[in-house]
Parts: sequence; C-alpha cells; structure tokens
Amino acid sequence: MSVLRRNVSVALAIARKDAIAEVRGKQAAVSTLTFAALVLLLFGFALGPDPRRLADAAPGLLWLGLVFAGLLAVGRFHEVETEDGALEQLTLYPVDRRSIYAGKAAIGALAMLVLGALLVPLMAILFAVDVVHALPVLALTVVLGAIGFAAVGTFYAGVTVRMRAREVMLPLLVLPIVAPLLLAAVKATSAALTGDPFGELPAWLELLAGFDVVMLIAGAGTYGFLVEE
Amino acid sequence: MKTRILGIVALLAVVAATLFGLFVVPADLNQGDAQRIMYPHVASAWLAYLSFGVTALAGIGWLIRRDLRFDSVAVASAEIGVVFTAFAIWGGMMWARPVWGVFWQWEDPRLTTTALLLALYVGYLLLRRLSDDPARRATRASVVGLVAAVDMPIVHFSVIWWRGLHQAPTFLSPDKILNPSAPLPFVLALVGMLGAFTLAWAWLLIRRYQLARAELAREEAVRGGLIRKASRSASSSTASSSLPTGDVAGAGGGTQSKAPAEAAR
Amino acid sequence: MSDVAFVIAGYGVILGGLAAYAALLLRRLARVREDRRSGDDRG
Repeated sequence: MSVLRRNVSVALAIARKDAIAEVRGKQAAVSTLTFAALVLLLFGFALGPDPRRLADAAPGLLWLGLVFAGLLAVGRFHEVETEDGALEQLTLYPVDRRSIYAGKAAIGALAMLVLGALLVPLMAILFAVDVVHALPVLALTVVLGAIGFAAVGTFYAGVTVRMRAREVMLPLLVLPIVAPLLLAAVKATSAALTGDPFGELPAWLELLAGFDVVMLIAGAGTYGFLVEE
Repeated sequence: MKTRILGIVALLAVVAATLFGLFVVPADLNQGDAQRIMYPHVASAWLAYLSFGVTALAGIGWLIRRDLRFDSVAVASAEIGVVFTAFAIWGGMMWARPVWGVFWQWEDPRLTTTALLLALYVGYLLLRRLSDDPARRATRASVVGLVAAVDMPIVHFSVIWWRGLHQAPTFLSPDKILNPSAPLPFVLALVGMLGAFTLAWAWLLIRRYQLARAELAREEAVRGGLIRKASRSASSSTASSSLPTGDVAGAGGGTQSKAPAEAAR
Repeated sequence: MSDVAFVIAGYGVILGGLAAYAALLLRRLARVREDRRSGDDRG
C-alpha cells in the first residue's frame, strides 16, 4: 500500500471514529445544533423586529451562528482524545501526523455542513429570506466556508487541547484568523441572495477557496509539531 | 555598552523627528495639522508589522533548531509588537477623527487589518502565558505565530476587496504621504520618524530579549532548586528529571534544549 | 475639539507610551537580575 493511500485511510478511519462517536453520543451533536439555532433566534431578538433590517443582516447572522457553533464542534472533536490518554495512543501508531489532522479536519467540516443544513433554512424562515433560487451557490459557499473553518479550528483545537482555560483560548485564537473567511463568506452569501448585482461573487468564492488551501497546508504542515512529544 | 549608546541615539532621533514633524514641516493643504499624526502612526505601523515578521521567523528558527534563544527573540518581538500595534491604532484613530469626523472607519483597510493584528498578538501572548514548560510553550507559540503570519496577507486582500469598487484615493486619504511624489518636507519627516522609531525598536528589542533570557534562566534556576530538593542523586543542571507534578522539563543552559516526552497532565 | 488637540493626543500617547514601556522594561530587567543574584546565594 502506497504511503499516500495509507495516510488517506488513516484519515478516513479517524473521521469515521469521531463520526460514530458523535452519532452514538447523540447528546453532544444535538446540543450543538440547538445552540446554533438559539444563536440565530437571539439575533432575531437583538436586531429585530424590523424585517428589512433582519433580511439585510441575514447573511452575517447565518455565518456568525455557524462560526460560534463550529467552535464548539471542533473543540469537542479534540477534547474526546484527552480522556484516557487517547491522544497519546493515537500518536504511538506509526502514522503521518497529517493524517490525524486531515481526519479531524474532515469530521469538523462535516459537522459544519450539518450545521449549515440546519441554519440555512432557519435563516430563510426567521429572517424572511428567499434562498431557494440561490441554493446551489449557497451550498458551495457553505462547503468552502466549512472547509476553511474546520481547517483553522481543528488546528487550534490541537494547540489548546491540553491547556488551562482552553474553552476561552480556542475562540480567542480562532476568531481573528477566520475574520477574512467570515467576511468573504458573508459577502458571497449576500451576493448569491441578491443575484450578484456587482458581479463580485466569483472573487469572494476564490478568496474562500484560497483561504481553504492556505489554511489546510499551514495546519497540516504544523500540526505534527504539536502532537510530537 | 553599545546598547546604551543605541538607546541614547534613538532617544535623540525620536526627539529630533518629533520636533521636525510638529514644528518645522508645514501643515498639509487639505488635512491640516492632523496630517502630522501620520508620521508616528505610519512609523508605529511599520514596526508593528516588522515585529510580527520577526516573531514568525524566530518561531521557525525554534521549530528547526530547537534553540530557546529563538523563542526569546520571538516573545520579545511579540511584546514590542503589541505596543507598536496599539500605538498605530491610536494614531490612526487620532488622525481619523479630525480628518474624517469619526474615530473608526470600517472602510479603511489599514485600520481594520491592524486591529486584527492586535488581536492575533494578544492571543499569542496569552497562549504563551498559559504554558509552563519552555519547550512546549515555544512550540505552541511558534506554530501559532506561523499560522497568524500566513493569515495576514489574506486579511490584507480581503479587507481591501471588502471596501468595494469605490476606493479612489482622495485628498483625505491616509495613502497620500506614502506617495513618492509627495513634497519633500513630508517625505523627510516621514523617513526621519521611521528611522528614529526603528532605532528605538531595535533598542527595545535588545532589552526585551535580555529580559526574556534572564526570566528563562530564573525559571530554570527555580526548577533546578526543586530538583535538588527532590533528589540528591540528580547531577548538575544539565540533567533532566521529573517534577512532582509530572511536568517534565528539559534543563540546560538555556541554549540547546529539546523537551523529552511529557506525561499527560 | 480642534485638530491640534488630536495631534497632541496622538503624539503624547505614542511618545509617552514608548517612554513608559522603556522604563518598565528597564525596571523588569533590574528586578530579574537582582532576583537571580540573591537567589544564587541561597542556590
């Protein structure tokens, strides 16, 4: 088996393990989804009741909800490893560290996609936004944003996994880094929903894709230093 | 002693540049006296970004060479970087209020980028504070510094695109003094302030580096003291051993130091 | 508030901050070096 195939299968195995754990321990997944929905609801209370203001703000609120809930998700995929010294066990296997990172980032992205599947319709309902006509582009935007956020979040979850005050350090470190992702995703979403009057959608999607590539490389490249003891 | 001379020269240069910028250089035609703030503002911003680069590079140095001196450079540069970043933002705000009427302008890419830079720096320093083992701390910091450095160009482009299509520089733009065809006195004032601040930065970096080395040595002396109490058979400071808390540290004169495996906390 | 006030505030905080940070640095340096000296006596 070539090295690449083995790394990929390791990554998939880790992603599968975490996914199964999530599905079995349903509670954590359901809590995260509920939290995300709550965030959107609270935004409604904070910025409403004027429907026009909410409709204008909808893309931003969607992505803020995704980001806040996403922080919880990526944090948890690393936290499970601190129980029973699981992380050390993982590193004892002769696997490329990048596979561990890839597996965790993949499951993180998947979690974000699930969150997106919940929050996009919720946004449509709560903030009276018509999403149906822009669904393909919206889906693409969510996919690109999910990958980028998972790439960054997984990396920093690895950094903070055994630190004191990690619950606050993870958001504190992640949020500045994903500012450009947030900005681009909101702009792209907004453009998609309004029919892209200025033709800026391709540029924003390219920025998102570029962010994803850069962060995946940076995360994979440096994750190994964190896990090696 | 050379450092002391550098410090005195830097101090004189800053004073001279300040007097020049405040009293000798004429006021700008469009922005008025407020334009004078640009000199320390741009100088601070330049040093904020320079410090950031130094921190990132020093982090790479640690990851490759495992010499804690690199990490000392990194933390020194980061702390100084926070200071200059704060100055840059303050200067930007003090300029924006008289010229644009508001303290903060979301459409100004430099202001928003520098604000993010400040957030990244603060996160970096807080992360360091929460790590006790020097090698672990250095690795975490290096890695975080690297990813942050990689993020900055993306931030730069994203906030510029964010501003949209209406971005023609006007008479009220901060970009004006960076224009090479600006009148000579302005250029002189800017270059003078840049040079003076850079000298000050260099002096600060040296001193902060010395402080980092001294603090590291003190940390290791404290560990050494504990080790000596815990086990008589421990040899001199070059031996590595376990502390009661299970936190394992590499000892040594603070130069070559690779942390051995650390037990889970 | 006139422009001049903002200029003074700008320069004042930046230069004053630089001076304050420099002074703080020197003080921290002196303190650590003193700690080590007295600590080594006990060492």
